[in-house]
Amino acid sequence: MNSVEVTNLTKIFKTQVSNNITALDNVSLSIGEGIIFGLLGPNGAGKSTLMNCIIGYLNPDKGKILLKGDDTSELNLKYRLHIGYVPQEIALYQELTAIQNLKIFGSFYDLPAKVLNERISSALHLVKLEDRKSDLVKNFSGGMKRRLNIAVSILHNPEIILCDEPTVGVDPQSRNAIFDMLKELNKQGKTILYTTHYMEEAERLCNKLAIIDNGKIIAEGTLSELIALLEKRETIKIRKAPASEKMIESLKKIGEVTETDFHYEIIPNNSNSKNSELFNELEKLQLPSHLLELSSASLEDVFLMLTGRSLRD
Amino acid sequence: MKNIFQLFKKDLIRFLKDKTAVMLTFLVPAVLIVIFGSIFGGGSGSRGKIPIIVVNESGVDLAAFLETEIDSSNSLRSVKNYTDENGNEIKIDHEKAKELVINGNYPAALVFPFDFFADTSSAIKFVYYYDPRNEIESQLIQGTIQKTIFSKIPSLFPLLMQREAKNFLGEALSDSFNSDIANMMSNYFGANKDSVIESITNFDIVKLTQQSDSNSVNNRQADFISNLIKFDSEQLVGAEKKNPGVTRIVGGWAIMFLLFTLSGTATSIFEEKQDGTLKRIFCMPISRSQFLWSKYIFAILLGIVQLSVLFLFAYYLYDVDIFSNFLNLMVVILASAGAAVAFGMVITAYAKSLAQASGISTLIILIMSALGGSWFPVTLFPEWMQFAAKFTLTYWSVEAFLQVLWRDASFTDIVFPYLVILIGIAILINYLALYLFKKRQVV
Repeated sequence: MNSVEVTNLTKIFKTQVSNNITALDNVSLSIGEGIIFGLLGPNGAGKSTLMNCIIGYLNPDKGKILLKGDDTSELNLKYRLHIGYVPQEIALYQELTAIQNLKIFGSFYDLPAKVLNERISSALHLVKLEDRKSDLVKNFSGGMKRRLNIAVSILHNPEIILCDEPTVGVDPQSRNAIFDMLKELNKQGKTILYTTHYMEEAERLCNKLAIIDNGKIIAEGTLSELIALLEKRETIKIRKAPASEKMIESLKKIGEVTETDFHYEIIPNNSNSKNSELFNELEKLQLPSHLLELSSASLEDVFLMLTGRSLRD
Repeated sequence: MKNIFQLFKKDLIRFLKDKTAVMLTFLVPAVLIVIFGSIFGGGSGSRGKIPIIVVNESGVDLAAFLETEIDSSNSLRSVKNYTDENGNEIKIDHEKAKELVINGNYPAALVFPFDFFADTSSAIKFVYYYDPRNEIESQLIQGTIQKTIFSKIPSLFPLLMQREAKNFLGEALSDSFNSDIANMMSNYFGANKDSVIESITNFDIVKLTQQSDSNSVNNRQADFISNLIKFDSEQLVGAEKKNPGVTRIVGGWAIMFLLFTLSGTATSIFEEKQDGTLKRIFCMPISRSQFLWSKYIFAILLGIVQLSVLFLFAYYLYDVDIFSNFLNLMVVILASAGAAVAFGMVITAYAKSLAQASGISTLIILIMSALGGSWFPVTLFPEWMQFAAKFTLTYWSVEAFLQVLWRDASFTDIVFPYLVILIGIAILINYLALYLFKKRQVV
C-alpha cells in the first residue's frame, strides 16, 4: 500500500478582484512506503496548497487523498494519526518553553503520560535540544526553533512526515542537521514528503521527485530518470565577472545566452555541437579559462527545459 | 528639508493605507462626540425626557397649575396612566405609583397629596417616591421639580411665611405685627395702611401664578424659601445599599472590559493562524468545531472569572453587596459572558486580519458602551439614541446587572426580558459567526 495516494486533486481559490486561481489542477501522486519524496517547484507553484490539502487544512474542490489507505475527510480524523506535519512557519508557542510546547502538542494524541514523556525525551534527543528543553522558545536561535518544529511533529511516531520547506531561512549548519534528522527518521521507516524550491536539497535528500508548476505535476521520477529527460547531460557555464560581462554580445553570436544569478549558459546555435567545439569558440574570444565551468545537468536544467523558466524566477 | 518631507510623505501613505488606524483616528472620536454632544446638549436631536409619574390627589388650583408646568417641562415626561393586563388605560393612583417605582417601571413618582396646600398650610407638601438607580437621573428629576416651583410661583412664599408666622406667634400677635408694619409704611412712606395689610395677608392663587417669571428668583431667595416646600421623600429601592454609587456603575464598566477581554480572546484565532499553530493543530486529530468550542469555553470561563474578580474587588473595596443575590448575579454574569464571546467570535469570523478585527472590535465596543449605558444612564440620551441603545448587548447587560445588584431582583424578574435577550443575542450572533467561519474558511 502506498503511504500517500493523491488522485485528480483540484483546488481553486476564489478571488474578489480577479479571476479564480487554480492552485492545483488535477494533481495525481503516489508516494511509496519508506521513501523520501521531493516535491520541487518555484514559489507559487502549488506545493504548499497540495501539502495543506494532504494534512486536511484545506478542502480540495475535487479529487481524493488516501493516507495509508484512510480517506482524509473532516469526518474521519483517524488519518491524522498517520501524519506528522513540519510547517514552513515556526509553529510553536514562543512564550512557552520547549518542553511545554512538546507537552501541549503531544497531549492531542491521547498518549499515556509515560509514553508521551518517553517520546518527548527521544524527540529532544533526536533534535539535540535536551539541554535547552526548559528555555523559552523565543530565546532560541532560528535553527533551534526549526529543530523543535520537527520534534513537535514526530511525538506520536507518525508513519508519514510531511515537511513543507522546513529549511527556509536557516544557516547551512542547521540545514545539515535537519537533513541528518530526516535521514535518520527515514532509516526508521518513515515516509517523508519534502517540498522545496531548492533543487540542491531535493537532489541531496530525495529518492523520488515530482516537479510541480502552475498547479500541475509536470514530471515525476527518480533523479536520474528526470535528468534523462534532458538531451545534454553536461553544459558549459561561464561565471559572471567583469571580463565575461564585457563579452556578452560576442557570446550571443555563438549561441543563445541564458542567465542565472551567477552564471551565463550558452546553447550553441548548432544544436549538434560538441562541448569541445564550444570551448574552442570561447577560447577564440580570449575568455579567461578560470571563468569556464563544465557542469552536470541538474534538476534546475530539467525545470528550465520543461517550463522555459528558472526555478527561482 | 526634502528628506523630512519624504519621510513625512512615507508616514502619511502608510497611515492612509492602514484603514483600521484611520477609522480609529477619525470615526471613533466622531461617533463618541455625537454621543457626548447628545447627552450634554448641542448634539443632534433633543435630549430625552425622563419619565416621572405624577399623581394629583389635591383639588387646589395651585396643584393643577404645577402639574401643568411639569407636563410641559423640557426635562420630564409626566406619566399619569398605565395599561392593565386587559389593555385598558387606567389612571395611576398613589399606591400604584409606589408599586410602579418599586418594580422599576419608572424612576420616580411625584404625588400632590390631599393636604398639598390647605387654607392654613404654612408649606406646600409633596410626596416624592424615587429609585435612585441612576444618580444623575435622580438629581435631575428633583432639580427640575424644585426649579419649576421656584420659578413659576415665587410669590407664594410670602404667603407661606405669613401663615408660618401666624402658627408660631398666634393670630392676635401676628395681626398686631402686620398692623405695626402697615403703620410704619404709612408713616414713613405715605402708603395706605389698609392696602399694605391687604397685600401682605391676602393672596390670590390665580394672581400668584400669573406673576411667575423664572428670572425673578435669585439664589438667596431660593435658599430661604426652600424650607417652605415640604418634600416627603421616600427612597423605595436601594436604600439599604452601602455604596449606591459604585453599586450602580459597576455593571456598566464590568461589561465594557469584559467585551475588550473576550473579543481579544476570540481574535487570538488570527494570531494562531499567523503563527502557524492553527495549521499544526488542524493536522492533529482535532476537528474545527472542537477547536471553536475550546475557544468558546475558554473565553466564557475567562469572562466569568474576570467579572467575578471585578465584583469581588468592588465588594471588598466599596462594600458593594454581591452576596445577597449571588446566584442571580452569577446567572447574569454567565449570560453576559456568553453574549460577549459571541460578539468576539462574529468579529473574528467577519474580519480579514488581526489588525482589522482589533480595530472593528474597539470601534464597536466603545460605541456600544457609550450608547448602551456603561458610561451614562440611557435616560439622558435623546429619544432616538434610547431606542438605538436597545440594539446593543451592553444595554441589556447593564440593565440586568442593575436588576440584580440594585433592585435585588429575583430569577423570575430577570428572565424576561434581560436573560432571554442576552441569551438570544448569544445564540443569534454565534449562529452568524459559525456561518461566517464556514463560508469564509477563517479556520
